[in-house]
Amino acid sequence: MLRNHLFNIFFTLIFFGLFSLIISFYYDDVSRALYDPAIFPTDKSFDLQACQSWRDDTRQFVVSNENKAKQITVLMYHRVIPEDQLNDTHVQANGDLFSTIILKSEFDEQMQILQDAGYTTLTLKELELFIQGNLDVPERSIVLTFDDGFKDNAIEAAPVLRDHGFTAANFVITGAVNMYDSAYKPGEYQYFSVDDLHNTCDVFEFESHTYNFHKRMEDNTPYLIGKPDKLVQEDLEASIVNLDGNTQAFASPYGAFDKENIQLFKQLDFNMAFTVIPGTVKQGTDIYQVPRKEVLANERIQDFKEKIGLQDGDT
Amino acid sequence: MLLKITLVLFIFFICFQLLYILYPLYAVNKTNKGTRLKREKGISVVIPAYNEEAIILNCLQGIINLNYNNYEIIFVNDGSQDKTLQILNDQLDLRPTFKKLPAVKIPHQEIKDIYHSELFPKIYLIDKVNGGKADALNAGIEYAAKEIVVTLDADSILDPDSLSAINSSFEDKNIIAAGGLVQIQQGFRGSILKPRPTFKLRGLVRYQIIQYLTSFYLHKFTQAKLNSITVIAGAFGAFRKQALFDANGYRKTVGEDMDITLKIHKLMKTNNRYKKGKLTFIPQAICYTQCPETFKDLYNQRIRWQKAFIDCILHFKKSLFRHLGFSASFFLIFDSFLLGTLSAFPTILIPITLLIYINGYMVAAALFTVAIFLAIYQGIVMVIVGARFGMNYSGRQLLKVLLFIPFEAITYRLLGLLFVTTGTILYFKNKNSWYVSKRIKHSQQPTVSKISLNKNTI
Ligand SMILES: [Zn+2]
Repeated sequence: MLRNHLFNIFFTLIFFGLFSLIISFYYDDVSRALYDPAIFPTDKSFDLQACQSWRDDTRQFVVSNENKAKQITVLMYHRVIPEDQLNDTHVQANGDLFSTIILKSEFDEQMQILQDAGYTTLTLKELELFIQGNLDVPERSIVLTFDDGFKDNAIEAAPVLRDHGFTAANFVITGAVNMYDSAYKPGEYQYFSVDDLHNTCDVFEFESHTYNFHKRMEDNTPYLIGKPDKLVQEDLEASIVNLDGNTQAFASPYGAFDKENIQLFKQLDFNMAFTVIPGTVKQGTDIYQVPRKEVLANERIQDFKEKIGLQDGDT
Repeated sequence: MLLKITLVLFIFFICFQLLYILYPLYAVNKTNKGTRLKREKGISVVIPAYNEEAIILNCLQGIINLNYNNYEIIFVNDGSQDKTLQILNDQLDLRPTFKKLPAVKIPHQEIKDIYHSELFPKIYLIDKVNGGKADALNAGIEYAAKEIVVTLDADSILDPDSLSAINSSFEDKNIIAAGGLVQIQQGFRGSILKPRPTFKLRGLVRYQIIQYLTSFYLHKFTQAKLNSITVIAGAFGAFRKQALFDANGYRKTVGEDMDITLKIHKLMKTNNRYKKGKLTFIPQAICYTQCPETFKDLYNQRIRWQKAFIDCILHFKKSLFRHLGFSASFFLIFDSFLLGTLSAFPTILIPITLLIYINGYMVAAALFTVAIFLAIYQGIVMVIVGARFGMNYSGRQLLKVLLFIPFEAITYRLLGLLFVTTGTILYFKNKNSWYVSKRIKHSQQPTVSKISLNKNTI
């Protein structure tokens, strides 16, 4: 009787032990299959703090007065796709590539040009300090930015940046980030997975590009302008939660924002905000309307050099 | 969405399996051979027989070995066209009698004659016009003289101690009906007085043995505790005669056994006299029945069961919860219908959907692993509980059983899906043509001349 009793308990313990082993083995796969990839939860974070700490390590550049940068170019990229992966989805009706798509070979070449010319990529914190007049940076300084947070940034662009010793800011639509990783398909509109963020947080500093407001109203007005301020605020707050509370910078979708938005950026403690208006950044530039120059598809090397202010013959 | 439904069903499945694994393990804690009472309640054993010439003497063999006195046997010959009547007459020396009188409570087909055995005074035979199994049972109950009615299939052999186990169990006034333990005859060797379990058998028979043992020792045992037994197997059940009358006897359907069980549940819910009533399972009341040995026979049997089940579900669907107790309704819907029948359809679809849904193969693997794991554990508990009830496999046989359990879970068990799906489809396809109850023809038919009605032989 007692023997049976002990046996039962022993048997049950082994049963539940093995059972929980099986459950824990498959737990991830099942929850992943159940996960609705439509949108990242508003209350979860990407948990990036640890690997993003480098962005706060402001460097002190030893530069002479003549070699100090007077103006800095901020470049804007979207997608980087290898040539052999191009398909119909990347091409407009007239046969041209969408302007937001840079070929990987071109991107490689552009980074090579920057490296050859001795460029330093600045963090956004350093750019902020430069604008405020609190930091001297070398003349050949540049800020690289990517918008939207496409998976190809992690697969194609990040290794190139890493090879050249560069860093870049990546403005992520945080709601579009996938909780679970899936196979890379350059032919689709595929956004970062949380794994992608973690794998590339050494070269990218991740910033807000809204949570889920990268959209337009029926009359084509961007959400940031068309939606009630309260909803815009809630959306941006969600993106901040996703980004572990990081409020270093914000970039408006389509570069569209109004006065109320700027008020909101300040209220939410964003240190700076970026536009898509081309221009160079100087000391005293409006920190909430920092200009950026977009690198376009099929850009000629000459145009690229001009964009960054590199004269022919300069190396 | 499909995936979510699948997972919810699967969680239900896990819960029921856990219940079936853990409850019997803890409830049957000591070797349990049952008790024997001095006072014997009267038991009428009703045995409907339709074209049973090949096996009817097996049944008789069990009766002659009974360790019980206060009983009567009523064979009901339901218009057999074969030699059933003649064989019984040869063995029993039947004489017409006028002393047996009906209760006149349940209508049935016309009785041709009633006989009394000259050699075995406890045995009677009712010869009637064919009317199906339910009708034959109704006629048998009409003439039953005792307080408890046991229904027995003509191809089943009673264990010598089965009636005294029923007697002990019905000592509880609240017990209205009870199912016995139906064992598969092929799974035993030796004499009926000392049968030894064996597993040196064909896979198809092994599969059925595992299934029967699991169904009785684990499922029925657990359901009994929760008063939610939804089928008292027609092969071997015991009822208070009055309850059968109050339930208006058997309904003419293939699933008359499930039907009468649910009717008794209905009595408990709707009739004040049966308010405290209970249905139970008596593991010590054993009968041995021959199971089909060929796939074709098994297929026919299981298709019939499934049709019977669907018929009963449809017949009682409006009574659920209202006229049937909560627990019985719950088990009927979730365990029997949702998990047993409904989920069989998506289960067949799962592999296909998962192939289409690229990332789903790991989920399929998860469901598969858990199902196999539970099946194996359930099998092991079945062996343990069986041993505690005195069903001990010897060393080598035990090893065979344990090795067969995981194999069965991924092979033979899938047959269940086939039976459940085809049975259900066939039910709706030709609703009207199936209700003629047919006996399974046994491929291994004992030769009549070899059987002698002596004690201690099988
Ligand atoms: Zn954008």
